[in-house]
Amino acid sequence: MKCAICNRESGENNYCELHMKAHESIIKKYDLWKKAADISWKEYLSEVAKNPLTGEWAKEVAEHLIKNGERKNVTNG
Amino acid sequence: MGNYTLIITEKPDAAQRIASALDTKEKAKKMEDNGVPYYIAKRDKEIVVVPAIGHLYTVAEERSGRNYYPVFSFRWVPRYAAERGAKQVRTWLETISKLANDADMFIDACDYDIEGSIIGYCILKYACGSKERVSKRMKYSTLTKDELEKSYAELLPHLNFALIEAGRTRHEIDWLYGVNLSRALTIAARDWSGKYATLSTGRVQGPTLKFLALREKSIRTYVPTPYWEVKAEIEINGKIFETEYEKEIIETRKEAETILKACKEKNGTVEKIDIKQFQQTPPLPFDLGALQSEAYGLFGYTPRRTSNIAQRLYLDALISYPRTSSQKLPPAIGYETILKNLSKTPQYKKLAAELLAKSELRPKEGKKEDPAHPAIYPTGSLPERVLDDSEKNIWDLVVRRFMAVFDEPAIRQSMKVYINVNGHHFYLRGRRTLKEGWLHFYEPYVRSEEVLLPPIEEGQVINIKRIILEDKFTKPPPRYNPGSLLKRMEEAEIGTKATRADIIQTLYDRKYVRDERMVVTDLGFDVLEVLEKYCPAVVSIKLTKELEERMDKIQVNNEKRENVLIDAVEILKPVVEELKKKEKIIGEQLSDAIKRARVEERTIGACPICNTGKLMILYSRKTSKRFIGCTNYFKGLCKTSFPLPQRGTVRPLGKNCRGCGWPTVLVRIKGRRPWTLCFNPQCPLKEERRKRIEMRNLQ
Repeated sequence: MKCAICNRESGENNYCELHMKAHESIIKKYDLWKKAADISWKEYLSEVAKNPLTGEWAKEVAEHLIKNGERKNVTNG
Repeated sequence: MGNYTLIITEKPDAAQRIASALDTKEKAKKMEDNGVPYYIAKRDKEIVVVPAIGHLYTVAEERSGRNYYPVFSFRWVPRYAAERGAKQVRTWLETISKLANDADMFIDACDYDIEGSIIGYCILKYACGSKERVSKRMKYSTLTKDELEKSYAELLPHLNFALIEAGRTRHEIDWLYGVNLSRALTIAARDWSGKYATLSTGRVQGPTLKFLALREKSIRTYVPTPYWEVKAEIEINGKIFETEYEKEIIETRKEAETILKACKEKNGTVEKIDIKQFQQTPPLPFDLGALQSEAYGLFGYTPRRTSNIAQRLYLDALISYPRTSSQKLPPAIGYETILKNLSKTPQYKKLAAELLAKSELRPKEGKKEDPAHPAIYPTGSLPERVLDDSEKNIWDLVVRRFMAVFDEPAIRQSMKVYINVNGHHFYLRGRRTLKEGWLHFYEPYVRSEEVLLPPIEEGQVINIKRIILEDKFTKPPPRYNPGSLLKRMEEAEIGTKATRADIIQTLYDRKYVRDERMVVTDLGFDVLEVLEKYCPAVVSIKLTKELEERMDKIQVNNEKRENVLIDAVEILKPVVEELKKKEKIIGEQLSDAIKRARVEERTIGACPICNTGKLMILYSRKTSKRFIGCTNYFKGLCKTSFPLPQRGTVRPLGKNCRGCGWPTVLVRIKGRRPWTLCFNPQCPLKEERRKRIEMRNLQ
């Protein structure tokens, strides 16, 4: 299976190893954002996607999540 | 000519210096044989000094051909037999052999380090007819007349065989790793795609790429976190100062807004003033790594460039031997004489006089030692030719660092003023130098600023002009640059001072990385992924370091060359077998990566006209001329195209034009300074430039 974003081989969750790491980073940082700025998951993804300091792969994952309307499956947001 | 002493040097410049220094009239006669220069000096007897041009021998496989692996049998051969473009080496060796025939004494005067020792050893063994056991050795750290004469008078009775063994082992192991792993990757990709592309890795190159890839992954997966900073602008005696809030990072917007509200339109009171004095000790003498890092930080020179400049200054006898890892300056180098000689130039006259007035000269030294050479220092000789700007910079840096290490620590004062604003604390910080000490000598290169504060007293009421709330985000870790990567390699103790800069350059040459702030390319990631997946041992930093340590032990006779070689091959063999077994799958992955890298190399950026396609460097089928075109052309959606210069190389710059925001390219044409090209014909910067030129023409 190919990664949902790039052409690399993917694992179980449709991401390659590199985008998987970026995905994990996005999930992990949401709690900090929520505490800091009290924003929803959707707003968070959009902030991450447009922030110039966000890494290229994290940005791609955020855009992919926005496009596919995916919800965070840890806590509701 | 007959019955002379034959001296072998590493480079032609060194041969000329040594010959002149040893000739009683300081006028050695330059000779030439088939374009190979050598020098005749008259002393107690005739001396012939013949140079090498670096390594004349190299490790090569016993069987011919490049299309197979594994390769475990090797031998030392003249470079012309193993490398294309090394034809000159044949005539060079013929001349040396001819001169060796009539010599009755041999002296190896190559640089006294691993590389120099192997160069001299190979020439004596293979080109001079096994004279390596009877040859004497000159040991020196500068090419000044005094030191060369002393070194000739006090010849070492034989070559340093431990150093040679260590060097041979290093070359042989590096060759075994390099040739087997690089061929495995290259052949796998070629056999899969039918196209040739050089891929390489090596014992040190792999772990170095790993440092970069780890950092790159952290940067590319980075998600910034918001935080807030509060600052207060205050007015004292009509001057505005900025103060920082007691908490550097405020984690929530709510808390930041509460602080802002509490402090707005309030005055402050000075609660406390802390004044501290501290010493800033002089820096350590330069070893090569420290010089390379400093030169990168100050002038932006890559480690390789600094190393080349330092080598030229050494060959001009202006500085001591630069490939050293020592941080020691022994008294034997003659501190006073060096300073007296430096004082002959107006630039250093005053500074040198200040140091010479001291009752005792004692340098600050570091812990690192090098058995062969001291730290880098100026010889005291003055330039005999006009130095170019980069040479001037490095020479000045070495001179000033040398002077700085002899002076007292600087004494600096820091001041912290605690200002209470409605229960919240703000800090005003000042910093000044009380006693310059060594900073005086190193002044152009000191990076510390002075913040002078007006007189303030405890209890003083402070007028708060405004409270500033700033939205901030945490930043990703910085990218490595060639200087910081070199430092990282030093810390990890992989590679040697002589090889690290070249390894960094190879990463660029193979297109595993790009840009000054080093960005790992997809190809770099894929090569590393293959290595990590199929042969993690060859990118293991621990394993590389262990091998380094064992090779260092050979140098001090604590380890045998054979044992280290056998163990290195034992590690390598299963790795290469695994690569061979997985050749197809590796070939597929690498071919894909090469293909993507070739596309990446030509992709300039998003098309500003259709906004959906990408602009690429393309070639016309009819005329073979290159131009910029949109990928949507092939779908019939966008006909955007722009002309490009046909000469030289063009590569995407990855930056947008500051005038119009379009992507830009970098054009390089031999003999011209590279320039950034914005291909937007409507770019406002072009219009401005056109107007400027018109104005100039009118004037």
